Amino acid sequence: MLRKIGVLGVAVVALGLAACGGTNSPTAKVASTTQRGTLVDNPALRIASVNASDFTAQLSATASGPQLLQLAGTPACGVDFYYFKYWTVGPDASAQEASGALMVPTGSSAPCTGPRPIVLYAHGTTTDSAYNIADISDTSNSANAEAATVAAVFAAQGYIVVAPNYLGYDISTLGYHPYINGAANATDMMDALTAARTALLSSFTPNTSDSGKLYVTGYSEGGYVAMATVKAMQAAGETVTASAPASGPYALEAFVDAIFFGQVNIGSTIFAPVFTTSYQKAYGNVYAQTSDVYSSTYASGIDTLLPTTTPLATLFQNGKLPQTAFFDIKTPMSSTGVAALDAAADQLLALPSSPPYTASEAALFDSGFGSPFLISDAYRVGYVDDAVANPDEAEMTLIGGGTLSSSNIALAATPMLGLRKDLALNDMRAGGWFPQEPMLMCGGDQDPTVAFQNAAIMAALWTPYVQGGLVSILDLNAAPQAGSPFAPLQVALQQEEAQLLAANPATGISSFHTAEAPFCLVAARGFFAQVP
Amino acid sequence: MQKNIVTLAVGAALALTASGAFADQAGPNDVRLGMYFVHYEAQADDISGPYVPAGLNVHLDNVETLYLAYVRSVTSHFDIELAFGYPPVTKTEGRGPATLGSVPYNGQVISTARWVAPTLLFEYVFGSPSARLRPFAGVGVNYTKFVNRQSTAAGNAASGGPTSIGLTASVGPAATAGLSYEITDRWHVYASYSIARVNSKLTADTAGVIRTSEVHFWPNTLVISAGWSF
Repeated sequence: MLRKIGVLGVAVVALGLAACGGTNSPTAKVASTTQRGTLVDNPALRIASVNASDFTAQLSATASGPQLLQLAGTPACGVDFYYFKYWTVGPDASAQEASGALMVPTGSSAPCTGPRPIVLYAHGTTTDSAYNIADISDTSNSANAEAATVAAVFAAQGYIVVAPNYLGYDISTLGYHPYINGAANATDMMDALTAARTALLSSFTPNTSDSGKLYVTGYSEGGYVAMATVKAMQAAGETVTASAPASGPYALEAFVDAIFFGQVNIGSTIFAPVFTTSYQKAYGNVYAQTSDVYSSTYASGIDTLLPTTTPLATLFQNGKLPQTAFFDIKTPMSSTGVAALDAAADQLLALPSSPPYTASEAALFDSGFGSPFLISDAYRVGYVDDAVANPDEAEMTLIGGGTLSSSNIALAATPMLGLRKDLALNDMRAGGWFPQEPMLMCGGDQDPTVAFQNAAIMAALWTPYVQGGLVSILDLNAAPQAGSPFAPLQVALQQEEAQLLAANPATGISSFHTAEAPFCLVAARGFFAQVP
Repeated sequence: MQKNIVTLAVGAALALTASGAFADQAGPNDVRLGMYFVHYEAQADDISGPYVPAGLNVHLDNVETLYLAYVRSVTSHFDIELAFGYPPVTKTEGRGPATLGSVPYNGQVISTARWVAPTLLFEYVFGSPSARLRPFAGVGVNYTKFVNRQSTAAGNAASGGPTSIGLTASVGPAATAGLSYEITDRWHVYASYSIARVNSKLTADTAGVIRTSEVHFWPNTLVISAGWSF
């Protein structure tokens, strides 16, 4: 009897199933190829969607939001935030999966729909391996503020934004970040752009499309990456409508030489491990062991220290990194045996409290010396010896008090130290190129983190193009000039920085680099609007 | 839809009545047809996973569907019932904030699924076998499988893209209590109330991002049916 019931049951269930019809709803298609620029999941995931009024309200409710709104303007568009994954290649040409943000303006008003320009945005240095600039919904994510800024400045004003997280972050399994590796960074950016263009086609707003205009920008590390991307895209024959790299270490060799000469920048103890790991992985010529570069206090494990999910404060607290003591407070001496070289090197190794630095500069640079310190004395001496023997002309011009010109800014001809070879290779002066479309280099000459000399050196290199109007330079710390469209930004930034100093005379300057970021992005937007 | 199901039930009952002319007397077999009125006392964990704000939950809409059962009288006091419902489309609504960003959530039908949910019940029938009105109570086991699982347009908007829905099948206890009323020797009408434990792990896959919730559906059903014995 039970058997009969069973048979009946199966039959009825089968009838029921047959009556259901249909299938389960599908999810996104997963790409079957790992070719560069392939979108992994299509359609991409929309993490959040906010209309213009909700975005305005949400920004207004945050501590820094009102100031951002004042600077960026009230959102004209809503923004859809997509998280997309894409295939790119690492410095070793291996296929690598990475992720990024696609921000799409929404709304029916004219600047928010139809064909829209794309801003390819490169983010700044982060030590957070979980950094995800697409995650606007999680205010605890370290990328949240930058995501909100980029969205407010660009996406909410009608620009489609593509912002990769870079290899080494979020889902990337590369294990390190190819930091300031121009070719690798540009490859990452270009592949993200290709994948994002695919994602745009299957977005929730099919009426919003790529107008074909492409603007490239970024701040700090992102400024460097933006310029490297312009260089690579031009070389690949791809058109960049205009670009606005901001506060980036473009003239890399000169910049790092200056640091080793004692002009220690704020953040140097964090940047150094990311740099050396990047170049060691890519070129294998920085050290045989980490103690070749780092003091015995910090050498162990520093090659795998960053990026990480451990907060920086914890790393400092646990003695993994010094907060500011980049070099030994006790000045080491050069001992090559070549008297002239040793004398020149010793002068550069001396504490920067000596002239020609101003008191405020000296105070800033002096904070980079202490004990325990990060960089071994021997490595610093060896670096400075190489910089004296194989000088970067631009840095030597600057440190000698000279004026930059196209005739005194060449890279070192034959650097011998592995790191300096890598810096020269990745220096934006290399390659004999210049921007073929308008470029604005924004920054501030009071920036204590990425020296403004980077922009000044590139401007000197490109003097004919500066004079021709193709390349522009904007110093936010310079005196505002009447009639300049950027004058209001200069005034506003300088007021903010004055407030920072008034609130904290000793350390207020340490926030200048961060404070300048949204001003440069708004300047970039204004610049792009002039290059339709 | 409800009207159609009722029409179908009445039609089927009439068909059975007609076929009854071929049988002489009631036997131990009983086929029942009627309506399920399903009310869910669903309790779900808040949805968890990447990019999910706190406090997102779900609610299930009540459904009605066709009831069909085969009952075998083993003794005059003991029945075995195998009950089915025509697989109903159950709608899941979002519960939580009114909007996610600017996307409507609370009260939106975010997904649908059809339930294939046979239940095997062992019932004790009280009273004299000759009594017209006999209460009964039983326990058994429910098997529920969810098919044709669909994320709606509103669900896709809330989830962030095309979403596949997974709901694990459930096996759980069921219980029933009811009354039968004899109209004729062959014809009875029944009213019963049943409850089953149906637990399922909900998995939503949007562009490879997985969000989950553990859902305890607790369907409790009122069944009104007519049965023909043979």
